[in-house]
Amino acid sequence: MNGPMDTILSLALLSILFSFASSRLPGLIKVLAFQGVVVSIVPLFAGHHLSIGSLVFTLTTLVIRGFAIPLCIYMVIKKVSIAREVEPIVGYHASILAGLLLIVGATWAGHRFDLPVNTNSQLLPPTAISLLGAGMFLLMARRNAIAMVLGYIMMENGIYLVGTTFSMRALHIVEFGILLDVLAGVMIMAVMLQNIKQTFDDVDTARLRTLKE
Amino acid sequence: MVEIIFVIPLLTGVLAFFLPRNIGRSLLVITGAIHLILSGIIWAGKPEPIFPEYFAITPEGMLSLIVISLLFFLISIYTTSYLNISNIRSESVFTGSMLLFLSTMTMVTLSDHIMVMWIAIEATTLASAPLIYTHRSAVSLEATWKYVLICSVGIAMALLGSVLITVAMDMGNVNAPLSFSALSGIARHLDPLWLKTGFVFILVGYGTKMGLAPMHTWLPDAHSEAPSPASALLSGVLLNCAYLGIFKTNKIMHAAGLSDFSGPILMIFGLASIMAAATFILKQTEYKRLLAYSSIENMGIIAFGTGIGGLAAYGAMICLIHHSLIKSSLFLTSGNILMGFGSQLIEQTGNLANRMPRTFIALFSGFAGISGFPPFGIFIGELFILFGAFKAGHYVGATLFMLSLCVIFAGFANNIMKISFNPSEATIRIPESAALIWPQYILLGTSVLLCFWMPETLVQTVLLAVTTVGGGF
Repeated sequence: MNGPMDTILSLALLSILFSFASSRLPGLIKVLAFQGVVVSIVPLFAGHHLSIGSLVFTLTTLVIRGFAIPLCIYMVIKKVSIAREVEPIVGYHASILAGLLLIVGATWAGHRFDLPVNTNSQLLPPTAISLLGAGMFLLMARRNAIAMVLGYIMMENGIYLVGTTFSMRALHIVEFGILLDVLAGVMIMAVMLQNIKQTFDDVDTARLRTLKE
Repeated sequence: MVEIIFVIPLLTGVLAFFLPRNIGRSLLVITGAIHLILSGIIWAGKPEPIFPEYFAITPEGMLSLIVISLLFFLISIYTTSYLNISNIRSESVFTGSMLLFLSTMTMVTLSDHIMVMWIAIEATTLASAPLIYTHRSAVSLEATWKYVLICSVGIAMALLGSVLITVAMDMGNVNAPLSFSALSGIARHLDPLWLKTGFVFILVGYGTKMGLAPMHTWLPDAHSEAPSPASALLSGVLLNCAYLGIFKTNKIMHAAGLSDFSGPILMIFGLASIMAAATFILKQTEYKRLLAYSSIENMGIIAFGTGIGGLAAYGAMICLIHHSLIKSSLFLTSGNILMGFGSQLIEQTGNLANRMPRTFIALFSGFAGISGFPPFGIFIGELFILFGAFKAGHYVGATLFMLSLCVIFAGFANNIMKISFNPSEATIRIPESAALIWPQYILLGTSVLLCFWMPETLVQTVLLAVTTVGGGF
């Protein structure tokens, strides 16, 4: 552990395990909100030179990732009173085990890459890879549509880490792109979710099985 | 002033959301005509962009642009008739989204900056999602959900890939704009490991949007559930736009001397798509899904050809153009069949040759064209790809390619015969008016024409585009 950055990143790694163990949507949303805050402040400790512009950008990201998006999704589940279970395909214990294996694998893989910027952090590449993998895992291993959206957001958190800390080039346009991606994705998915709820009276994606092959 | 070509549809698209239906329909055709004229001007004069760091006129972009313009104009004429007959509840959303979709796709063809390209492709997803959900039914909702979710995840992968390319720049201590043209120039200084990683992510990401197997699962649903004019755009143009992202990244790989890495990957994804289409096309019961699987097949053929390079890359570019022309005409024709028989199921249709003779001609010639028969252009494209594959010594790949094509032809022919000649008691619900027929005839006619006579500028542009990925004679 070297300094504040690794401490913050270890919190992000812990949030992955918590999210895998969450069986209820409100809990999962809180974990994701926490993760959003943690991931957004990482660039502040990355040792890059901070301009006013990048500070504003980081704060905006923090507000959107940590508060606006979780709140938006929370309102959706309240409004359409969706069943609160995440409906796992892979059980919680197996998920946690998979999460641990993922972090171990990511640590092994993360040390094989050379990074252009010296961040003094042991945990940066492993955390980014873990977040990407964990997001994918939630997308595949949960049937509830909102849990899938949350998995997507977790994946975006991983990309945000890569985009803001691995390289210092074209930083703003990368940040802008990621924000656009998350916002647009979440907005359209929220609209879709309401419609899924209205049409099927549920958001279990197992109902979405008419179209095959 | 190049940017004006996507700003106009953007403005008219926003406007169309607030206009009554009749004006919205005319706006669609007018914008299509203006777009066609503007892309003609771009072909003739090659004007400079206002933001040269973000946009550029490239040969591959110009090819896609002219295809988009021509297709959209013809599709907009068809759409006015289509909207008269089919009952779409929120027509202003439909026309508005069509125009926004046109704007975003045009932006893709002109993008030179890696991130702007990514933003534009992301925007195409957002603009086209409402089109797929037009019918507001449970199945269309399911199709849209799959489309948005799978493509968003895919596009996120492409974003990661784009970011990794910036890491490759940092590692190589390169100081250049983050644009495809600039990076192609200094590609040898980029860090090869990060560049390769970035390429793989971009290929998987944009490949999802392009419908390459195994990331293609959303495509048959989305293309079959969208209203036919939207399906024609999705299949005819959107897939090309996603391919453009892969093509331009492949260009950097070639300039960096990493074509040994990118080529085989493209070939594997291409063959996988062709074989996946061959597997699934045999048991389709709906004609629009049949066409959608044929799109997956053709995207596979194009990726395969691009991966081989040389003569095959030229063939792939020819296939790209002709697939757009023929497939969009087929999707429009499928709209006529759907309106005539009122069902997407093949077994609910029949005797098209007598019931809807003009639609039958469009369907049957389109089928011949898409299966690679002369005098349609895909024949030449596929021939070049096969020559290229043999010349480069990819005997196994070429054999698999030919076998799959035969299987797909068999599956396709079987179903087209059923639609055309099986006995049917159904009553036809629509007259075959000129606007529902001529757009398809013009598209097919263009394909035949280009097969026999390609204007010199077109040949030069295609050659210019493919030389950057190791293509040409």
